[in-house]
Amino acid sequence: MIKKIIVALALIVATACLAQQPAKTTPAQDQTANGTIVLRGGKLLTISHGVIENGVLIMQNGRIISVGPASTVIPKGAWIIDVTGMTVYPGLIDSETHLGLIEIDADRMTNDTLEASDEIMPHMHVYDAFHAETALIPVTRINGVTNAIVAPGSGDTLPGQDSFIQLAGRSAEEMITVRDIAMPMNFTGRQRRNQSFDSSKYPSTRMGMATQLRQAFMDAQEYADKWARYEKRKANPDEKDKDKDKTPDPPKRDLKLEAMVPYLRGQKPVVLAVEENKDLETALDLAHQFHLKVILNHVTRVSSLLDKIAATGFPVIIGPIYEQPREWERYDAVYKMPAEMARRGIKIAFASYDAHNVRNLPYAAGYAVGFGLPYDEALKAITLNPAQMWGVDKDLGSLDVGKMANVVVANGDPLDVKTDVKHVFIAGQEIPLVSKQTELRDQYWH
Amino acid sequence: MMRRIRHLPGWTLLLWACLVGALASALQAGAQQPSPATTHNDVVIRGGTLLTASHGRIENGSIYIHDGKIVAVGQNVKAPANAIVIDATGKWVMPGIIDSHSHIALDDDVNEATSPITPHMMMKDAFDYNDKMIYRALAGGVTTSLLLHGSANMIGGQAIVIKHKYGLGRDEMLFPGAPQSIKFASGENPKRVYGTRNQLPSTRMGNFAVMRQAFLEARDYMKTWDDYNAKVQKGDKDATAPKKDLKLEALADILRGKLLVQIHCYRADEFLTEMALAKEFGYKIRAFHHALEAYKVADQIAANGVAIATWPDWWGFKYEAWDGNPWNAAIALKKGVRVALKSDSEDVTRRLNQEAGKIMHYGNISEDDAVKMITINPAWIIGVDDRVGSLDAGKDADITIWNSYPLSSAALVDKVLIDGDVYFDRSAPGLGMPRFKEGQ
Repeated sequence: MIKKIIVALALIVATACLAQQPAKTTPAQDQTANGTIVLRGGKLLTISHGVIENGVLIMQNGRIISVGPASTVIPKGAWIIDVTGMTVYPGLIDSETHLGLIEIDADRMTNDTLEASDEIMPHMHVYDAFHAETALIPVTRINGVTNAIVAPGSGDTLPGQDSFIQLAGRSAEEMITVRDIAMPMNFTGRQRRNQSFDSSKYPSTRMGMATQLRQAFMDAQEYADKWARYEKRKANPDEKDKDKDKTPDPPKRDLKLEAMVPYLRGQKPVVLAVEENKDLETALDLAHQFHLKVILNHVTRVSSLLDKIAATGFPVIIGPIYEQPREWERYDAVYKMPAEMARRGIKIAFASYDAHNVRNLPYAAGYAVGFGLPYDEALKAITLNPAQMWGVDKDLGSLDVGKMANVVVANGDPLDVKTDVKHVFIAGQEIPLVSKQTELRDQYWH
Repeated sequence: MMRRIRHLPGWTLLLWACLVGALASALQAGAQQPSPATTHNDVVIRGGTLLTASHGRIENGSIYIHDGKIVAVGQNVKAPANAIVIDATGKWVMPGIIDSHSHIALDDDVNEATSPITPHMMMKDAFDYNDKMIYRALAGGVTTSLLLHGSANMIGGQAIVIKHKYGLGRDEMLFPGAPQSIKFASGENPKRVYGTRNQLPSTRMGNFAVMRQAFLEARDYMKTWDDYNAKVQKGDKDATAPKKDLKLEALADILRGKLLVQIHCYRADEFLTEMALAKEFGYKIRAFHHALEAYKVADQIAANGVAIATWPDWWGFKYEAWDGNPWNAAIALKKGVRVALKSDSEDVTRRLNQEAGKIMHYGNISEDDAVKMITINPAWIIGVDDRVGSLDAGKDADITIWNSYPLSSAALVDKVLIDGDVYFDRSAPGLGMPRFKEGQ
């Protein structure tokens, strides 16, 4: 019953959003003579090649076709939006959210974040649960976040595989742009099943978790080898098989082990979540043993190991920087981590680690600026850096010709809490600044 | 049931902190004792941009502090030649931030969740004045906090008001003379706590029935004492005193108007029910806390003189938070409600200045109103607005100095003064705490 209400609400919101689109003055490509939209007069934060004051950005067929100074030639018939005094920047990318997996946290029926029945669940696919009509996405995108990683919850060591989404589209299929883009591996201590001696189950300690992971990767390796042998024999049947006129039987498929194979082969990144020094050491050993391609995650309380991280060359999703420091540390020990990492040449990205308030992603980057992170690095850490880390920089992360037209216009510094987003374009389509919350606002404003 | 997502905002932890059973505390009541007088030098803060919270912005302003109090505020302030000068040129100066809803420094003893009516629980008995959270909030500019009982019970315990003088002893940290607040709660939390045990109250009907019953008993109790006192007054030597009962005494104090009533609730219908109940039993409500749906009945809340202490943008973590809305504060303010932004979080309490900045772009709230929401308005909710919450002569010198515009993402606190003494200085070595004594 309650779920029905939620679904109904979500549908109303989604319908309202869709319904608003044609009514809105302008955007859609078919409303302009040649489907061209021009943002004129704004301060362009290109990310890749500096700032262009009083610039011109042109979008066509969902792509950016021109980024230049005021003198840039504007095609005839284009729809021109004057954004004088505004700031124009690429859509923000959040490197860990739970969008589409949760509607109301406290209600299990609307919460698909974690399959907690076992710790090793790499065959859980976010795309199987992603709820495209969620009310949370319109709330999020109207603050300028246009793309995000959707990750399962962090309660399992291997909780499943992430998807990369675009925050607009008519269906999950349209919104999920990369399935199984990465595999989280969580080793923060909270994956232990040790709530009490009475109710604990294996693995109730870090030893147990690490051992279980090693076994899982070894099993997956063996499984991959078994299939490789089979494929080889099938392709080149040996004499014996020929005699018997018999092809070999395929090994039994095991979804769990199969899911891990691309990661064992280093084809996709493992997102390795740790917080403390000791866990980082253990997790790095594991990554080394199995030759994993790694993106580090959290690493909020590892101040003495920053040089070691830099030496690995692994990029880092840093945060939340709102984590408490260790008891003996200064109040700003975690706030300073992004600056300390960037100073060592570590590539960083920020994440909200949230569902309902993904919209606050840029403020973490802004806060890190207060604690010494260079402004440009902060902006990169929610645009181009994550685009590169997730392998989508061909399309996203900067204002460059040829990239997808995910573009945001705001009345000030994108990292500041006071800034108001005025236009959001996703794939060149203007998104109405409407959400469940703006509708309630309008209903009760007077 | 156990939440597996680690990195959701602080409310998740709080939700659990609020629900996980607490230990019984000793029944040691008592008003907050004033701290022993301390000596202060004359201090003058010169050259900053002042956000006064009471009379707007003063460019190139100064504040003269004597004996822990603000003596003068303005562009032309006279101070003795031997006063200690704090140069705030190019910096921003604001009253100390006040958090009107916090559960830090209580060592997780936040909920005596063994009965829905526990007005006789005293948070002072659980006050862990060594908690580093007091220091971390201080470093974010917080000088005063209201430390509340959790929301498991319809009527929880009695709060304490602290000044963040981290490094000092317990009694020196209590806000001298602050009025006593009591925590109420309704809605999903008490429903869940008692409902899962198959006890009353498992519904909102049960919520309010439990409260009515408690107040009726308190009335009877008051009457027995009134009768006894009348007999004694008449010189009846045989009159026997009724039994003193701490729980009923505390309830009677609510009915006598001695306690500021702080109510945790979310939904519009509950604000109305709570206000009707208050009218029925003749007590006043000071503030609704969380109050996510205040915008739906803001007129009625304003008409009752009740304030709200809310978050700018938390929503959706449970049903009663589903209609949470970042324009809540703007709409409530517009309709005449006194609005405070609070943390209810050991994370957010460290950066309430950002929350105030954030609220400015949801509904075009002015700088003045945004500053008030983290200073003088929460001071009113706590009942100390005559003492702190603005830069005005006669007030306690609880002052924050910022390296840049405070209502922004990147602003940092440079110095925090409480009662005219520096308790935090970002440039000082170690923890930045001139008054911190090791080993405390």
